[in-house]
Amino acid sequence: MKRVVSVSLGTDQRDHQVTLSLLGQTVIVKRRGVNGNLERAESLIQILDGSVDAIGLGGIDRYLVMAGKRYEVADARRLALAAHHTPVVDGSGLKDTWERWIVEDLTKSQVINPSMSVLMVSAMDRFGMAEAFYQKGYQVVAGDLIFASHINYPILTRDELLELGRKLLPEMVKLPFWQLYPTGAQQLTAAPENHYKEYFDAADIIAGDFHFIKRYMPSRLENKIILTNTTTDADRAMLRSRGVRDVVTTTPVIEGRSFGTNVVEALLVALSGLTQEHDGWTELVAKARHELFKLTAS
Amino acid sequence: MDLLAALETFAEQCNQNQRLRQMNRDWSRLVELWATDTDQRYWLKSDAGSITAGIGEALEAELKISARNDILHDIFSGIITPTEPYNAGDLLVKGRQDDMMRLDIITLLIWGE
Repeated sequence: MKRVVSVSLGTDQRDHQVTLSLLGQTVIVKRRGVNGNLERAESLIQILDGSVDAIGLGGIDRYLVMAGKRYEVADARRLALAAHHTPVVDGSGLKDTWERWIVEDLTKSQVINPSMSVLMVSAMDRFGMAEAFYQKGYQVVAGDLIFASHINYPILTRDELLELGRKLLPEMVKLPFWQLYPTGAQQLTAAPENHYKEYFDAADIIAGDFHFIKRYMPSRLENKIILTNTTTDADRAMLRSRGVRDVVTTTPVIEGRSFGTNVVEALLVALSGLTQEHDGWTELVAKARHELFKLTAS
Repeated sequence: MDLLAALETFAEQCNQNQRLRQMNRDWSRLVELWATDTDQRYWLKSDAGSITAGIGEALEAELKISARNDILHDIFSGIITPTEPYNAGDLLVKGRQDDMMRLDIITLLIWGE
């Protein structure tokens, strides 16, 4: 039986374990949160190295990919290099394909349409999704500066998003990760009510990282569609209680949780022996996506 | 190296940049810069996005930055980014994380890429 562990900088309150069958094999998937402690994550990866089939990096991106340019987050690089035998992946091998397809599928099936306005709470970390919205003609507000840096400046065009990415990312990725993204206990605290409420109110679709959404969302989200990633049953119930019309997770919900993209990428690496650098990766991702969503439906 | 001249040029560049004016429209802060080797203090002030610079103590500063004169000069002239001296411990910052991040972003938007 294959074993996959996601080492997450997030809270350990979301730890869980599932066993599932995928691509004809059985695999145990475990999440281990380290509450924002980078040293603990590093030593946990060292312990797991060689004893599991793949390791996912959760709560942190190793690579931010924008329009073909890849920026490496220094803290994530340090974590990845802690393993010498077991592959360590961060989900970037999926985000660029999988999250594009989600927007295309939802548009095709008319769950969403280009007359709807989109708030992407952060777009530099999931440019594939942002690009799909732009290509389909959606009006997108990218909130990277607002939610990550508390600079009240919405990014309104693809060109400006790319320009800001080119100027900021080469330096931002060198900063300690906790300065860029909520980790550990920060993930459990909500920002004061009505912080940036106008951006949520103006959007029909709220997309992107769930920790940013959860931290800044207003008390009412009447009729909004949320397109996001790792959520629990409790998260989805809370969103519904605030008036949300639909919650769509970019990864399938299995046993009450939507997996992080790092987990799915680690699963695929463990089961196939391929990585995103190999030929056939995109086909594998497509096949696994089909199977995983079938699991969700069953 | 004339740090005051560098700060005044930095302030001018911020004020001429429409995007930075808009980004900083709700940001009013006093920043003190202490050149540790010359023991000279300077200040930068943002008043709803309009930046001014001067020499002297800023007792009420919300953000206090200290480094050698040449490091401060090079940061505010765009010769180096703040990240490198910060990560190396050569640039010390006291104040809110958000304010420090904003100053980083301002310098990168003026000189980045």
